[in-house]
Amino acid sequence: MPSEIDRDSALVQEEALVQIDTVAWVTRYVGGSGSDRIGFGLALAPGDTVRTVLRRLSQRFPQLQRALWDPTSGELGEHIEVVVNGAILGVRHGLDSEIKDGDRILLFGQYMGG
Amino acid sequence: METSVPGGYAGQILRVDLTNERIWTQPLSPQDYRQYLGGVGIGAKILYEEVPPDVQWDHPENRLILATGPLAGLPVWGTGGLTVVTRGAMTNGATSTQANGFFGANLKYSGYDAIVFQGQANRWVYLYIKDDTVELRDAAQLLGKDTWEMQDTLNAEHGLSGHQMSVYGIGPAGENLIRFAVIAGDYGHVASKNGCGAVMGKKQVKAVCIVRGSRGLRAADARGLYQAADDIAYDLKTDPSTRSLYEYGTLPGVVNLLGLGALPIKNYTTNEKPEGTDMSLWEAPALRNGFDHRGHQCSACGMHHCHMQVLPSGPHQGKIVDEPEYEGWSGAGWAIGLTDRVATSWLNTQIDRAGVDVNEFGWLIGWVMECVEKGYITKEQLGGLEVRWGDAEAADQLLQLIAQRQHLGDLLAEGVKRASERLGGPAADCAIYTMKGSTPRGHDHRARWEEMLDTCTGSTGTLESGAAVKPQEMGLPARINPFDPDAVAKLVGSLQGRRHFEDSLGACIFTTRTTIENLCCALNAATGWDYTLGEALRFGRRTSALLRAFNIRCGIGPELEKPSKRYGSVPVNGPAAGIAIEPHWEHMLDVWYETVRYDRKTGLPKPDLLRELGLEHLIPELWAEEVPSRAV
Repeated sequence: MPSEIDRDSALVQEEALVQIDTVAWVTRYVGGSGSDRIGFGLALAPGDTVRTVLRRLSQRFPQLQRALWDPTSGELGEHIEVVVNGAILGVRHGLDSEIKDGDRILLFGQYMGG
Repeated sequence: METSVPGGYAGQILRVDLTNERIWTQPLSPQDYRQYLGGVGIGAKILYEEVPPDVQWDHPENRLILATGPLAGLPVWGTGGLTVVTRGAMTNGATSTQANGFFGANLKYSGYDAIVFQGQANRWVYLYIKDDTVELRDAAQLLGKDTWEMQDTLNAEHGLSGHQMSVYGIGPAGENLIRFAVIAGDYGHVASKNGCGAVMGKKQVKAVCIVRGSRGLRAADARGLYQAADDIAYDLKTDPSTRSLYEYGTLPGVVNLLGLGALPIKNYTTNEKPEGTDMSLWEAPALRNGFDHRGHQCSACGMHHCHMQVLPSGPHQGKIVDEPEYEGWSGAGWAIGLTDRVATSWLNTQIDRAGVDVNEFGWLIGWVMECVEKGYITKEQLGGLEVRWGDAEAADQLLQLIAQRQHLGDLLAEGVKRASERLGGPAADCAIYTMKGSTPRGHDHRARWEEMLDTCTGSTGTLESGAAVKPQEMGLPARINPFDPDAVAKLVGSLQGRRHFEDSLGACIFTTRTTIENLCCALNAATGWDYTLGEALRFGRRTSALLRAFNIRCGIGPELEKPSKRYGSVPVNGPAAGIAIEPHWEHMLDVWYETVRYDRKTGLPKPDLLRELGLEHLIPELWAEEVPSRAV
């Protein structure tokens, strides 16, 4: 299996893209083994935010949908951490911050200490 | 008054007076069991009632409480649990620290819910328990042995192996009163916080050795218990977070925390991996499968969490070691600039064998390595030892110097706070600790604000509230902005209590990562009670209030609730670069105090809270002169 799969790139080569990478454990929710990185280039629509692009991706993967969102509030759940352009969500971006062409989002599993 | 022993309990506590070598049992009433449960709950009660402020950590009348809980020994995952409660050597305040393995189950099968040591032996002893046979035996043959050798020796002496006998004790570090000495047992399980091993060493107890007893345990509702155990196991296997624990233990932590800026690297000097480091080798499956390994599960546990492994290469090739937990990879590895997996794994077991806390080791040795690099500590001070970032063999030599208190090891044995303060100068600014004397768990808390606040305000010498587990069940949001000072402080304060409930059941912190409702179902099936989420949290907050009152009485107050300069510094790079907690610190404390309903000035639980928690009997002592002006 290649280390990175850009499943949508053939369809969206001419459009503005956000790159969403699922890393390590989170790949289990998008068909991976838990030990690689699976990436997705998503075409951006006007006004897209961190929330809308994550929502669009997770709608394709039921397990990711369940892990990413809190079913009661519709906000991010407790299980997956979001990093935008190298900074944790909350540092420079919020869930409703606008996403621009070339932005990168990383999804990590929740930390489990001990 | 009800007199019978509730299901799940053995029904008595073992008391050991070391000074007079006297041993007796103490029954507890069903009411006490319900109010104090076990583990840290019972431990906090005994500590508060029996250790007055003038009894310091090294005083013979300090208590060392090894307690289990109502689920230990029953067929619920991870129920071999041990909680150690004492006045600890790092903060000279309350301690609650957990280990797993088989100790808790074996203790219950011999007929005891807890062991309470008091006094100080006049010779080195170990406590031998096999049902009604409870003896203090001479430990001369065990002196100087590391924690694994000690267990080998006792296994051979008694002709037992595997899980027929559980041995928990101290290594050379505990014998030599290293302040961050641990109590370790069952080859790789460690009660590590607040120098509980130094307390054991001061009492001249080398080990507790429990042969698996022959007493049966009764569940009030056996069918209900199996159903609750099944529900918990199902949740652990399918919950998006605990599923990773189920499959790979804490191994995913390295990659996850690096991505979040919370993997401590080289004593908080950077949050970026060294150039050329292949992180795919650090992902959980690669980390586990890079070694020959096999499961090393605790009592009644179906998690694939603990493993033993064989070192595949390097100078110690072929050695059997304990697969490091996440905090082993960080404390014995990344925190000291070591990213060689095999060397880290070896060093991690060396640390367990010597009997010191791997987290404190990481902060201490990382600090030494930085100080050597910057010229604050010289080679001569280290007895001629060459030390540089990432050198596992040098780190081990430092470990041995510390465990034997040789050269600078004698100073380092006091822990990073005291060592850095005594060395002074610019070296003091590089050390990571809380002003209480404790140090963080194995994370970079500059990207985990809730943990820094919890570590600094907690009364146990480590995290007290812990991470949010299914917070919605407690009416809390599933997620907050981790850098919102108000939200963080409210969350940490609101979570208070859950962790103490878990740590009183005799179960592992990882197998209790289910709903409180599920845990109550198991508890109720075991005991016949009708515990609810509300009663569980009230119990936990009562335990918090007791530990807090104990600490305040010992002089550990709000003025010590802050991080050291480096601990509270600003990350220079990585995913949390530029984020500063320091400007928000006092406000976060304000919000936290308001949330937990403790008095901001004295640090004490307020009288109305004490009444609500059933601790009104503490008011006259705690608030004797304060009530007229501050009572609510």
